Amino acid sequence: MPQTQTTAPAPQAAKPKPAPPPVPPPEFMEGDIARMDGPALLAVLNDSGASEFKKAKACQRIGEAGFKEAVPALVALLSDDHLSTYARYGLEPIADPSVDDALRAALPRLKGKYLIGVINSISKRRDAKATPALVKLMHEQDVETARAAASAIGHIGGLTAVRDLRAALPKTQGAVRVAVADACLVCAERLLSEGKRDDALALYASMTAADIPKPVRLAAMQGIVREETSLERPR
Amino acid sequence: MTTRRQILKSAVAPMIVPSVVLGQRAGAVAPSDKIVFGGIGIGSRGAHVLSKLLAFDDARFVAICDVRNERREEIKATADKRYGNHDCQMYDDQYALLARGDIDAVLIATGDRWHTPLAIIAAQHGKDVYCEKPCSMSIEESWALADAFRRYGRIYQAGCQRRNGANFVLCKELLDSGALGKLQTLYANVGPSVNWPPLPSRDWLAGEPLPPKQVLDWERWLGPAPWRPYHPSYVRGGWRNFYDFHGGGILEWGSHTVDLCQWAAGYDNIQPVEYEPVGTNVGPYKVLCKYANGVKLVMRDDGWDGALKTGSCSFRIEGDKGWVETGDQTRIECSDNIRPLLRPTESASLALVNHVADLLRAIKSRQTPKASAAAAANSHVTCHAAFIAYQRGKTLSWDVAKREFTNDDIANRMRSRALREPWRI
Repeated sequence: MPQTQTTAPAPQAAKPKPAPPPVPPPEFMEGDIARMDGPALLAVLNDSGASEFKKAKACQRIGEAGFKEAVPALVALLSDDHLSTYARYGLEPIADPSVDDALRAALPRLKGKYLIGVINSISKRRDAKATPALVKLMHEQDVETARAAASAIGHIGGLTAVRDLRAALPKTQGAVRVAVADACLVCAERLLSEGKRDDALALYASMTAADIPKPVRLAAMQGIVREETSLERPR
Repeated sequence: MTTRRQILKSAVAPMIVPSVVLGQRAGAVAPSDKIVFGGIGIGSRGAHVLSKLLAFDDARFVAICDVRNERREEIKATADKRYGNHDCQMYDDQYALLARGDIDAVLIATGDRWHTPLAIIAAQHGKDVYCEKPCSMSIEESWALADAFRRYGRIYQAGCQRRNGANFVLCKELLDSGALGKLQTLYANVGPSVNWPPLPSRDWLAGEPLPPKQVLDWERWLGPAPWRPYHPSYVRGGWRNFYDFHGGGILEWGSHTVDLCQWAAGYDNIQPVEYEPVGTNVGPYKVLCKYANGVKLVMRDDGWDGALKTGSCSFRIEGDKGWVETGDQTRIECSDNIRPLLRPTESASLALVNHVADLLRAIKSRQTPKASAAAAANSHVTCHAAFIAYQRGKTLSWDVAKREFTNDDIANRMRSRALREPWRI
């Protein structure tokens, strides 16, 4: 006679609770750094015994505090493999010309990703005094450096930038050319926002040439359509 | 020399979509009518979105890029199974995927740190984008996102799928129709502090040995975020609640619910002018906001399901004649006078299906989808402003036109974050 199973089915297993998240070790806790003032944060950067973590956190808080006296100490970290971004995190928001001077001065002595990082910071701060150096970098052999420089010139904007970018278009190729063309679009938008409508439209028109990268060409055409059909345009 | 008039004439061509792609033919969709997608950084959430996308005959998913080998292979297997072939190509470099001329659009579902830079790079390559939320890491990134998609005329759909959820749509209709009267207060349930505290940690986890690069490319995983030592927890989703990767509970859910509030109110191009944080980093918290017209926006942590248990990501609209509240359970709570105006809605899961359909429609018609880059940027700026107010622990005033805080220099310096080299926006 076959046996029938009489035991009750096993209760459904309880949904496992997710493991608690790992806890940061004490040496990687921000702690008091969050409450330090500018001089104390600078002291962390100047302390040769301070850990990489503490310096990273101090850089971020210095940027938020806008403590300009820390600029030299931050600049010294621009070529640090792990702290370079943190240094720029500190520098970018400080509204003092000493930052622009320091970033410009750093350009000739940096290479590779560190140089690109500084170019990106200059771009964000829209430092027009850096344009001549950026124009040279736009023609660098290193493609990533050249692209970053073109992008920065576009963000800085203005008619000088337009002239430099347009001059670079026939001399560049591939990814750099795409970046130069993209920078021209950014310049055109800024010209529009500054009321330089004819300059902007002329720039857009030059970006519709058949040899311009297709996404930029279409964007330029749409820029013209958008502007010409805008109800806000001068009539 | 080409005149502007000639350019205008020629430029109309790319602005007008051939009729062949505007309507579905009966039966199978011709290959030329299919929108070809690639994916970048598809984890669990991205796989959910992808499952909806794969169900559409007029979309085809042909490529995956991920820094994790196992993810690449999982997504390839999913796509190949759907189409019965082995065609889905795997990449570990986003530029290689974006260089493909046959790909029209990309699905981006990486961690938050990558969302804006990748979306902008995609637009620069002429691609349309579906991008998961939160869409940005800062106020600056939010504006840059909107600018790039406007500049390139590309379609962007943020992963704010509730804009296409029937229960949420009905609530907006009730406000638009005047049934709720004059708008008084909007309520957005933000991420519960027990899951995502409003102030993410600035700490690091202890470093562990890096896995081989072909298994995980840690440098690419970090991407635009500042360097820190590798820990496997980050990669398994534990990156949330760390400041360098995440905007805390306000961004985690506010990117949905604040977005819903502003969409419902027709505030897709303005932000509140005042942000008052209430609470600590433990327990329920609020940010009380006010628009220039006097309407209030209350970001509140009412737990996972909200005060009225309408489900996750709930929002509420109060007018001077009535109120409505709904969430992911799709049930609508309301004042008695509104009840006769309710109608059956649909399953919450359909919101994402509708949202993907809205994207496909927008790509074909070149019309703006529900959660465009401009709309997403606007709601994210509101969330970031609230997040900054919470970090500062003080009431902040915001100038909508100047895009700056008027009473706190530190808050203004927190509007942007430096991106790790070589990334930029």
